[in-house]
Amino acid sequence: MSTRSAVVLRQVKKEFSLGDGVNLEVLDVEHLALPVGSCTALRGRSGSGKTTLLNLIAGVAAPSGGTILVGDTDVFALSEARRDRFRAEHVGYVFQTFNLLSAFNALENVMLAMMFAETVPTRLQRRHAADLLARLGLAERLAHKPQQLSRGEQQRVAIARALANSPPLVLADEPCASLDASTASEVLATFLAFCRQEEKTLLLVSHDEAALGKADQVFDMAELNRAETRKAPA
Amino acid sequence: MTILTVALKYLRGRPVASALTIVSIALGVSLMVASVLLARGIKEGFIAGTTDYNLVVGAKGSPMQLVLGVVFRMDLATPNIEYTIYRDLQQDPRVETAVPIGMGDAYRGFRYVATNGAYFAAFPWRRKTFALAAGRFFAEDQQSEPTYEALLGAEAARSTGLQIGDRFYEGEEMAEYPLTVVGILRSTHSADDRAIFFSLPSYWGMNEIARGMAIKPLTAVLIRPRRMSDLPSLHRELNVAAETQAVLPSGVLLTIFNMMAVAEDVLRMILAIVGVIVLLYVFVSMYSATIERRREIATMRALGARRATVLGIILTESAALATAGGLGGIVGGHAVAYFAGSLLGPSGLVTSHSLFNVFDPAVLASVILLGTLAGLLPAVLAYRTEVAENLAPLS
Repeated sequence: MSTRSAVVLRQVKKEFSLGDGVNLEVLDVEHLALPVGSCTALRGRSGSGKTTLLNLIAGVAAPSGGTILVGDTDVFALSEARRDRFRAEHVGYVFQTFNLLSAFNALENVMLAMMFAETVPTRLQRRHAADLLARLGLAERLAHKPQQLSRGEQQRVAIARALANSPPLVLADEPCASLDASTASEVLATFLAFCRQEEKTLLLVSHDEAALGKADQVFDMAELNRAETRKAPA
Repeated sequence: MTILTVALKYLRGRPVASALTIVSIALGVSLMVASVLLARGIKEGFIAGTTDYNLVVGAKGSPMQLVLGVVFRMDLATPNIEYTIYRDLQQDPRVETAVPIGMGDAYRGFRYVATNGAYFAAFPWRRKTFALAAGRFFAEDQQSEPTYEALLGAEAARSTGLQIGDRFYEGEEMAEYPLTVVGILRSTHSADDRAIFFSLPSYWGMNEIARGMAIKPLTAVLIRPRRMSDLPSLHRELNVAAETQAVLPSGVLLTIFNMMAVAEDVLRMILAIVGVIVLLYVFVSMYSATIERRREIATMRALGARRATVLGIILTESAALATAGGLGGIVGGHAVAYFAGSLLGPSGLVTSHSLFNVFDPAVLASVILLGTLAGLLPAVLAYRTEVAENLAPLS
């Protein structure tokens, strides 16, 4: 594991306004660093701020305070349009419910991610997407729409989509929570192996002990998130 | 992948909604195009029917009835005038061409029109040309020996099924004076297609009262003056005369167009309402599609799509729907106008059968612009979609 950090969070806070000047603090992380090429797991109860933390790192939600560095880039120092482009090229996101686009087939779902970045030349995008899907065991499923795929296959398409632009950082929000145990185990093994092989930095939200066991470091939101600590009964 | 391919993919992803939206746009546009073409065609038809001759001379009465009856066969014939009026006009040095017209009864709804060869002559100033599809023109017979030869307009021949050599009459009292078909005209896309022509001597011979009259009757005389400067004096003299009126068809045309203008205003209002309804339909279609797709829009944003990109996708979808609907509407509008024109043509309302014209690209551009505007609000909704909020797992 590298000593360089792929992600660094300093004094990051997230509050939601409840109106009338009342704010709800949902996240307060003093410091978090993810070494380059590492696999970090996050665990915590529902509502403990895991997804919020991922959204902040991805730049799809703005922090109320603090600094988020992805590589050497202060994500929120960028304009929104630049942040979108940065996210497309540097961050892969795997969702719990896959979030595949229903009108597009497996190949097109993966190619769609490439449309927003400039990492893969247009003429190579189809082949690159097909190669990725083939490596994830979906060579025979390229033309299938999401509804024609099993849940395990859908998640593998989502993983291929997250890796389409070869981002150095991959965020996965409970990627196997919607899958049955055996499928989850198979998908997770493929996913982790892929990230290791490609030397991706992976931040994984999971409750699965097997997944946690394979991570280089595990953080419990109850300890990482000071807002959670303050909420906990004495 | 481009914004266009993504937009088209989305449209294909909801085929029924997309097809219904395209059809509704096409129906609205075709209604507008057909209405405009038909209104223009009717005007052109009136102009074509009335511009060959500068004066229509008939008995005193309604000028509009005279023109509509004699030129378009759309009204009852006015009372008769004496044949000598035609003779006098023929001798008048100010008159280049005078054509006598006698309006008779009808055979199975097709009006009898008595005239002479001048009616069909190819004068250099004529807009309308007559050509034979079969047979020949009726003979220029003598009053003492009417030939009862008939020349059928194209629609009259088609509808009655009469062929060259067939003899026909309407009503037992006319059995003694059957007409014989000697020729059939090619279609002129005018009221003449529904007429049955024959000579004036045949006309007088068929009519019991006319047979006994020393001075034979006529319904009207069509006049073309030698010089346009002669027109006012001819007009004045014929109107001052006790038994005749002279009508400028262009004046009647103006009256008709003024009457049409009221109908056109109503039509314009109806078309505007149709346009608004179509735009609302596009708006509702795109709005509901955007609402349904908020999660997918948030996903695209999470993958790195810029706000402008999702805005562009929705606007491109609207524009694509409008383009397809607009093209369909223009083609449909021309088709409706063509068929309606074919139906109305023989009744005297000649309509333009011209194919696509220079206004069509402007119509299409307007439809695309308005259709795209209808998608603007849904596009802004997509633009403003909160990513984190809409990415939450579905419960």
